Amino acid sequence: MSTDLSASTTPAVETGVGGPASRRRSGDDVWRWLGRYGALAVLVGMIVIVALMEPDTFATKDNVINILNQSALAAIVAMGVTFPLVAGEFDLSVGNTASLSGVVACTLMEKHGFGIPEALVLTVLIGVVIGLVNGFVVTAIGVNALVATLGIGTIVIGLNYAIAQGLPVTITGDKANSYIDLTLGKFLGIPYPVYIMLALGIVLWTLLNRTVAGQAMQAVGGNPVAARLSGVRVDRIRVAVFVLAGACAALTGVLLASRTGSASVNGGDTYLLSAYAAAFFGSAVLRDGQFHIVGTIVGVVTVAVGFNAIALIGLGTHWQYLFQGGLLILGVGVGTVARRRTA
Amino acid sequence: MSELLAIDGLTKRFGGIAALQDVSLRLGAGSVLALCGANGAGKSTLVRILAGVETPDAGEIRIDGEPVTIASPQDATRLGLNFIHQELNLVPKFTALQNMALGYEGAARRGLLDRRAARRRAKEVVGRLGADFDLDAPVQDLTVSQRWMVSLGRSLMREGARVIAMDEPTASFTEAEAERLFSIISDLTADGVAVLYISHRLDEVLHVSHDVTVLRNGKLVGTFAADEIDRARLTREIVGQEVAELEAIPTSEQPVEARPVVLRARDLAREPRVHGVSLDVHAGEILGVAGLVGAGRTEVARLLFGADAPTSGTMELDGRAYAPRSPYDAIRRGVALVPEERRSEGLLLRESVAFNITLATAKESRRGGGLLSPRRARAIAREMVSRFGIKVASVDQPVGSLSGGNQQKVVVSKYVRAAPKLLILDEPTVGVDVGARGELYAIIRDLAEAGAAVIVISSDFEELAFCERVAVMREGRVTAMVDAAHATKDHLTSLCYSEEVAA
Repeated sequence: MSTDLSASTTPAVETGVGGPASRRRSGDDVWRWLGRYGALAVLVGMIVIVALMEPDTFATKDNVINILNQSALAAIVAMGVTFPLVAGEFDLSVGNTASLSGVVACTLMEKHGFGIPEALVLTVLIGVVIGLVNGFVVTAIGVNALVATLGIGTIVIGLNYAIAQGLPVTITGDKANSYIDLTLGKFLGIPYPVYIMLALGIVLWTLLNRTVAGQAMQAVGGNPVAARLSGVRVDRIRVAVFVLAGACAALTGVLLASRTGSASVNGGDTYLLSAYAAAFFGSAVLRDGQFHIVGTIVGVVTVAVGFNAIALIGLGTHWQYLFQGGLLILGVGVGTVARRRTA
Repeated sequence: MSELLAIDGLTKRFGGIAALQDVSLRLGAGSVLALCGANGAGKSTLVRILAGVETPDAGEIRIDGEPVTIASPQDATRLGLNFIHQELNLVPKFTALQNMALGYEGAARRGLLDRRAARRRAKEVVGRLGADFDLDAPVQDLTVSQRWMVSLGRSLMREGARVIAMDEPTASFTEAEAERLFSIISDLTADGVAVLYISHRLDEVLHVSHDVTVLRNGKLVGTFAADEIDRARLTREIVGQEVAELEAIPTSEQPVEARPVVLRARDLAREPRVHGVSLDVHAGEILGVAGLVGAGRTEVARLLFGADAPTSGTMELDGRAYAPRSPYDAIRRGVALVPEERRSEGLLLRESVAFNITLATAKESRRGGGLLSPRRARAIAREMVSRFGIKVASVDQPVGSLSGGNQQKVVVSKYVRAAPKLLILDEPTVGVDVGARGELYAIIRDLAEAGAAVIVISSDFEELAFCERVAVMREGRVTAMVDAAHATKDHLTSLCYSEEVAA
C-alpha cells in the first residue's frame, strides 16, 4: 500500500478503484470497511460491552493503566518481531532470547557486580548479537529463516542452562529494590513500562515508516528481487530485522526479570507465540494484511483487554486461551475474506 | 466455415468503469481470429470471461448456436475452451509429462494415476505438435518456448479441444520458434480447432490470422479480414491516431565512435551463458542488442549491472575501473537496468506508484534530520508521472492496478530518476501497447540526447531501427556490430543465425 499510515487512510487510495460509489455493490463496501476497521471495531466493541457489564471495575483509570502495563512487555517483543515479518522473514528465537537475557542480566548483577544500567546495555547487546547470528545464518549460509532461528533459539536455550544450571537467578541485597523499581516504579501514576512501550513504539514506527532503511524493509518483504535490482542491499536489511527482533526480545527479558527481581530459565518463552498472534492480528488493523507497528500494538492491547475482562467477569483461565485463539482467527480471517471480496 | 463460438453484446463493468461494452465477435471452426487492442482495451477481460474467471454483466455467449453459461474454469474446459495465458501455470519441478497429465482424466483410474496411459497420450500430442522437448525433463529446465509447448500440449491432452486462446504466445520466442508455432496453428485449424490469437505483434497477427477483431477502450472498433488490411491501417484502428514509423536519428553531430566511451567491457564471461563479450558504449548513444533467446543478452546486462559477478573480464566506467558487486554499487556509479520481467523483477505490485518510483532514490525523499518525507516522495513521483505521461488516478494508487504500459513507465522512471550515465533496458516494450511504446522510445531518445548512454535489448528487431548501432549476440558472444542503415529486421535475423564473426 503506502509508505505511511496517513496515506493509507486517505480517500485518494479509493479513487484508484474508480467510479462513483453508488455503482459499487454495497456488500463490497461492507467488506472493505471490515477489512480495514474490523479489527479495531472488535477492540472498541469489547471495551464498550465490558464497560457496560462491569462499570465499577473495568472503565476506571487504574484498570486502564493496569491493562497498558500488562501489555507493555508483550508489546515490545511483538514490535520486534514485526520487523522480520515486514521483511518477509520469521524469527522463532525471540522467546528464548527473552529468557536468556533475564538470566544474563540477573547473573551479571548478582554474581559479577555490574550495575543496573551496565547490565541492561550488555544484555541488549547480547540480543543484538543473537540477531546478527540469525541474520548471518539466513543470508550468508542461506538457511530458511524458520529453521535458522529455531536452531539458534535452541542453542540459546543451551547457553541459558549453561549459565544458570536451570535454576532461577534472584537479585539480593540493595540492588533488588532498584531493579524491581524498573517495572514497578511509576511516574505521574503510570508505571515505567508503559512509557518504555510508547517511546519505543514511536522510535520503531519512525524507523519503519520514515527512514530509507524502513522503506527498504518493506520493499524486501514485498519483492526481494525487485528490491535488490532497485539498489536495496537486501542481505543487510535482512540482518537488520533480526537484530531489531533480538534487541527488543532482550529488553523484554530484562524487564520481565525485574518484575520479581528474579529470572527463571524459561520465563520469556511464552512471548514467542503471543508476539506473533499480536502481529498477525495487527496486520488486519487499518492495512490490508501488511504488518505495521500500530497494528501490532493494537493486537497486544486487544488481547490484554480481553484477558482483563475475563478476569473481571470471573471466567476461568481456559477462557483466555479460547479468546486469544479465536481472536487471532477472527481478525486475520475477516481481513483475508475482505481482501478476496474486494479484490 | 461453421460458426463455433459467437459472442453478442458482452458487457462487463468494474466499479463504474466499463472494461467491455457491447462487444460481439464470431469465431468459426478451423479459423484463426486475432484479438488486437492497446493495453486496457478489454482483451484480457474478454478472455477471462470466456475462461469462466469473470462473469459478464450482460451479453450472450453461444457455442454451436446454443447459449451457454461459463460460471467456472471447469465449465470452460467442459465446453472445449482452452487458454494458454502469458503466465503458463506450470509446476516448475514437475516433468513435462507430469505437467501435461495434470487434470487429464484419461490418466486417472479409480483415483490412481495411470502413468502409462498418460505417457501414451502425451507422446501422441507431442508428436502432433512436432515438439522437441524431453517428456521427462523438469519444466524448469526447458526453454520458454518449450514450456509454452508443454502448456499447449496440456490443453490438447483431452479430446474435444475446440477453441484455443493464446495470449502473446511469441513474446519470448525466436523467429524460428514462432514459425513453428504458425505451422502448428495451421495443423490445428485443419483439424477444425478454432484459435483466438492475442498479440501486440501486428506483422505476426496479419500473417497468422484470418480475421482481426480490434478493441479500443472496451468497445468494438471492428472486425477486418486479415488480407484486406495492412499494418499501418491496423495500427491506426488500435491507437485511434497516426503513429510515426521508427527511425534512427543521430542524437549528436559527432559520429558515435568519436564520442567519449561511457562503458568499456573486455572479455566479460560468466559460464555457461556468456563467453567473452567486449563492448564500447558511447555517450549519447543508443546501442541495440539483438540476438535469439538464450544468446546471453540478459546475462550480459546483469553483469554490467552487478546483479551477477563475471567469472572473468574487466569493465571501465568513464575510464575508471568498474567492478560492481551488487546493483547498489552499480546505481551509485550511475548504471541502471530496467529488467526484463517487470512484474516479478521491477515492481512491488501492492505498493503505491510513489513508493515504486522513489525506491531506487529513496535518500532524495529525505528532509533535514534524515527522515523520509512522504510529501516529498509524492511530489517527486508526481513530477515523474507528468514527465513520462504515466496515467494514474493518484500516486498513492497501488502500482499493480495500472496497465502494462504504465507499469513499465513506472519502472523506467524509477531508474531514470537515479540519473544514470548508462541505462540498460531489457525488452522494454514486451506487452506494452503501440501508443505507450512510442512514448517509451521518446523517453529513451531524450535521455540519450541529454548525454546518457543507453543499451536496448530487444527481440523485436523492428524496434531496433531507432538505435544508432546494433550489436548482435550469438551463443554468449558479440558476433556482429551493425550501424543504423544496416539494422534491418532481415539482416539482423540472418546475423543471429550466421557463423561469421564481424570485426
